[in-house]
Order: sequence, then structure tokens, then C-alpha cells
Amino acid sequence: MPIIEVNYLTKEYQLGHLTSLKETALNTLRRLTFRPVQKREQFKALDNINFHIEEGEVVGIIGHNGAGKSTLLKHLANISKPTKGEVIVRGSVAPLIEVGAGVNPELTGRENIFLNAAILGIPKKIVRQKLDEIIDFSNLEQFIDTPVKRYSSGMTVKLGFSIATSMDADILIIDEVLAVGDLAFQRKCFDRMEDMIKRQGKTVLLVSHNIRQVQRLCSRVILLDHGQIDTDGEPKTVCDMFYEKNDREIKTNIDHAQSSAIGSGEIELVDIHFLDQLGHRVNCLTYDQNCSIHFRIHVLQELENVTFGFGFHTTDFLYLTTHNSEEQLSISTIPPGNHEISCQVNRLPLLPGIYSIRFGITAGQAAGTIFYGESLKHFQVIGKIPITIRDGFFALDANWCSDNIKDCQMIDFNSKETQKL
Amino acid sequence: MASSTKNIFQYRELIAALAWKNIVIRYKQAYLGILWAVLKPLMLMMIFTLVRSFVGIESGDVPYPILTFAALLPWVFFQESASEGVNSVTSNAALIKKIYFPREVFPLTAMATKLVELAISFVILAGMMVYYKMMPTIYAFWVPAIVFYTMIVALTISFFGAALNVYYRDVSQALPVALSLLMYGSPVIYPLSLVHKKLIVEQAAGEWSERLYTLYTLNPMAGIIDAFQNVMLKGLPPDFDTLYPGAILTIVILPFSYWYFKRAENWFADVI
Repeated sequence: MPIIEVNYLTKEYQLGHLTSLKETALNTLRRLTFRPVQKREQFKALDNINFHIEEGEVVGIIGHNGAGKSTLLKHLANISKPTKGEVIVRGSVAPLIEVGAGVNPELTGRENIFLNAAILGIPKKIVRQKLDEIIDFSNLEQFIDTPVKRYSSGMTVKLGFSIATSMDADILIIDEVLAVGDLAFQRKCFDRMEDMIKRQGKTVLLVSHNIRQVQRLCSRVILLDHGQIDTDGEPKTVCDMFYEKNDREIKTNIDHAQSSAIGSGEIELVDIHFLDQLGHRVNCLTYDQNCSIHFRIHVLQELENVTFGFGFHTTDFLYLTTHNSEEQLSISTIPPGNHEISCQVNRLPLLPGIYSIRFGITAGQAAGTIFYGESLKHFQVIGKIPITIRDGFFALDANWCSDNIKDCQMIDFNSKETQKL
Repeated sequence: MASSTKNIFQYRELIAALAWKNIVIRYKQAYLGILWAVLKPLMLMMIFTLVRSFVGIESGDVPYPILTFAALLPWVFFQESASEGVNSVTSNAALIKKIYFPREVFPLTAMATKLVELAISFVILAGMMVYYKMMPTIYAFWVPAIVFYTMIVALTISFFGAALNVYYRDVSQALPVALSLLMYGSPVIYPLSLVHKKLIVEQAAGEWSERLYTLYTLNPMAGIIDAFQNVMLKGLPPDFDTLYPGAILTIVILPFSYWYFKRAENWFADVI
């Protein structure tokens, strides 16, 4: 029997503010006299959701903002009731929907442990046994008898997480809680969660925007879209699909978005475009193919000792690589007017995805920045990639080999021929 | 109702923890601590005693200060439990949105908190009884039953009021006004014997007197206060004639109040 059953779950919210007493009275009067009542617009936060979760499954729920992830969790934790359909949960639930929901600032850390444990339904006897473990995990030994109002926000969250994870429930519901605390504590939380999932075999529902994390932890992923289940299946398949969707959305967004560039006004960037290896103008680049990037600039006054630099970054501003013209191109002066410079990229190592370009120009003896911009042009990298380099941003040019395993074949990927060792 | 009682038992630790939190928080930084809890009945007693010295209220053979304090004990307990109970759901919005447990825990917690304060007031009452050289009689064993009945009355108001307050905050505004009006309709400042004398003995309202008296005793607090004074101060059993109209009213309304609360509970998290 599945531990969680969600059948035809629909949740509607009324849009607009609450009705006033007067309006309610009027509506009641209308209902009594069989006249049509004034109805407000309905919003379907969840629309006919169906799924079953077996014991021991670790299910990730992903989706864009407002897709209904948190609403779904609220129904599983019995906080909200469905408009239509049913939710059956067979077991105790530890909702980590927001850690520290019950933490009271006036009480000390120790008092809060007992209070929150009571709220989570942990018997006092068990809390007493686990008290040292909880305090130890939270790293707050020194401050445990200080009122929580004197804590930093990170300390409060640490305390909340330590209490919540000490609960011995069958089902854990986790909503974005791992994005808390410093890096060391995040690591600790992650390890504890992995321990609960992999060793204690608990059923876990995890909502996160950190797709990489979901993919790593979960055995199954549900992708929600506008209150409906878009896909439900293998983490890899679903996550890839989500990435693809996101990439498309980002691309449509940025086509309208203004890039941010700062400059001294001595120079203007007119255009950036790509040419493929055949010299055709393209919008998409292909993995492992040669290409060139062309920058068209408009110089307003004569410049000396000019250096150009460009780089690729992800849409969330992770700088992937840069390239500088310093040692390749020596320009002593540039006269005013339009100029074009280009950079030839050999065998583009970027894996398929959406990336962006940043570009900067320095001039003068002191190499002062006269132009710099990020997200200047977004582009998609396409192409087939071998399974060996599935994850990450870059292809690594590397080969595996073995000396002492017999019956081992080396495969040359490029020629697709196998050679006997 | 049966499931509710079961819930109370199941969640007794939670109720205890939340009530303890309420008390600790309220008095944590106060030098006098929980003594503030008894300030309200003491102050009111002094004011009433002062007022009485001008207007003259018959108090029979019981000294007026202790008579009115004995009236204020159940009254303040009822009034504060009801108003805290009505606000208990909205003031715990953060918890309601984050975690599930039966929501009646909140009004019950408000009551448990007030129960502690009532216990302290009892110490003051005992002190006054020593001062006035009054010995408690065997009838004092009625006190737990009277307190329990007061709790039921306060809960009847709390359940309905707390649920309605989630939708219309008017309730928490109107309640203090209504409760202070009700205080004048309850034998707090004056003893019930005075009302009885006016209406039943002197028939002051003519043929309406009997009906008016029944109407007066429909207020459960009339019977409760009178019974409390009887068993604590006068060494008499509770007067059931004044208790039953209010008791019937309470028993009729309580199931509706609880039903409304449980029905509204489903939407607390969405609306609050």
C-alpha cells in the first residue's frame, strides 16, 4: 500500500481580498432569496494532481515559482485542505516546511528545544534523551541558555533544523531548508539528510530550486507546471526537461532584457555576433566546432594602448572563462570611427546550454577600464555530446586506460573503432 | 466531542508546553513576574470597595471586599480565558501556516494559561479568608466542578469567537466591549441575593419579575459566581435554581460552537 496517496487533488484560492461583513451578509441574503451570489475569481493552485508514493521513496518536487510546490506540501502536511480530491497519508509526518516556525525569541535555546519538540509532537522523554545530540548538532553549546532573540539569524535556523531533524517520523517533508546556515552547516545538514534517506530508509519529499541537489538525492522527481503534473519519473529525465524549459524561458526573457554595460563614453559597443566555421552568421553555437565572435565598436575619440577581453558566463553569473587580447593583439592607437574586432574560438568546449558573454576594454598606460558589460549577448550552445562528459560546463579532453585489467578494450570515440589492447 | 476529549489527552504535552511558554514569555522580563496576574482582580476589588462606600451595596453577613473578590476570581478567569481564547488562533498565525495539530489546542492553551493565574489568585483569596477568620467548609470541594463548568462556558465562546475572528477581526474588537457589559449583568459588583430580593421578593418589575430573573440567570456566570461565593465563603451548597438556565444554554450552544470551529479549521491556513 502506498504511504502517500494523492487522488484528483485540486486546490482553488479566491483571488482578491476577503469579503467584508456587509458583503457576506448580502450574499447570504441573496442565497436565501435564490438570487445569484456575487462570486469572486478563482485561482487553481493545484489542478487535478494524482500520484502515489511508496515507502522509502525519495521524491523531489520541482517547478518554477508559483507552480504549486509549496501548496502541494501543505496538503501533504495536512495544513491546508483540498477543494476537491483527497490526500491520504499513512504515517507520521515531520514537516520541515519552514524550520524554526515555532522558535520563540524570548525563550532560551534549551527552552525552545522543548517547546518546538512539543509542537512537532516529540514526547518529552525522547527529547530529554536526545537533548545532548540536538545541542551538539546545532553547534550552539555555548549559547544554549541565551534567549534566542540574541542569536544571529543563522544560529536560529541551525537550532530549528537540529530540532526538526531529531524527530522520528516516517515521512519527511522538506521545503528549501538546505539553503541555510554557513557552508559548513549546510554540509552537515546535507549529510544528515542523506543519512536519513539512504540509511534509515525514510520516505522523503523534497522541494528545492537547487535542481542539482534534487537530482542527486532523489529517486524520483515530479515536475509541476501551473498546478499540474508535467512529468513524473526518473530524476535525470525530468531534471533535464526542466533545464531545457528554463533555458528556453531565460532566452525569451533576455531577448527583451537590457544588458548592463558601463563605460567612460569614449567607446560604444554597437553589436556582437557569431560566425560559424563556414563564415555564416549564427545565433546558436555548436559544441566542439570552431567559431568566431565579432565585436563591432564605435570609437568616439582616439584611444591608445587598447586591450580587449571577453568571457563566457552562465545565466546565473558563474564566470566560466575569459580571454584577453593583451599578448595577441598590440594596438597602439585606434582612430575614431567604426571598427570590428574578432576572436577565433577553436573547438568550442562549452557543453550544450544557455550562456552569456561579457566584454571589456581597457586603454591607456594605466590600462583603465573604459568599457565593461555583462550579459551582453545570450546564446545557446547545441550539439551532440558523448555520454562520458554529460555533466558540467566544459568538456575535458581526457582518456581512460588500464594496464592490468585483462579483457579490457580501449574505445576511440572519434573513430568509433575498437582496438584490442 | 468524544474525539475532542481524546485529542486533548493526546496533545496534553503540547498544551502544557504552549501554556508554559505563554506564562514564561509574559513575565520573563518583569521583576514582579507572575504576581502581575493577580493585580487585576485585586485592583478591581479595591475600586468596587471604594465605590460601595458611596452607593451602599448590601453584602449580607459576608464582608464586602472578600465577597467581591470571590466574585472576581471566577469572573476574571472567565473573561480572560474567553478573550485570550478568541485571539488565540489569529495570534498563532505563524504556527498555523507551518504545522498541523488540532486547532482546538489554541483556545485550550489560552485556558490552561489562565488556570495557572487563577491558582495564584486562590492564594490571595486564602489569605483574605485567614484575615477575615473564615474557615472553608466541606462544600469547598465543589470548587473544581465550578471551575470546570466555567471553563466549558469560556470554551463555548472561544471556539466560535476564535473561528469567526479568523475571517472577521471585528470579533476581537467587539469582544472586550461585550464582556465588560456582561460584567455588569453578572453579580460581580453586587451579590446575586440583591437581584433575587428585588425581582422575586419585592416583584419590582411586576408580572415580568419571574421571567426577568430567569433571563438574568441565563447568563451562566450569574450561577457560577453565586455558587462560588456559596461554597467558598458562606458554607452553603451551590444554588442549582440559579445554575440550570445558564447550564442548559451552554449545553445547547457548545456543540454548535465546536462544530463551527472544526468546520472553519479547514480553511484557517488559507485565510488567516
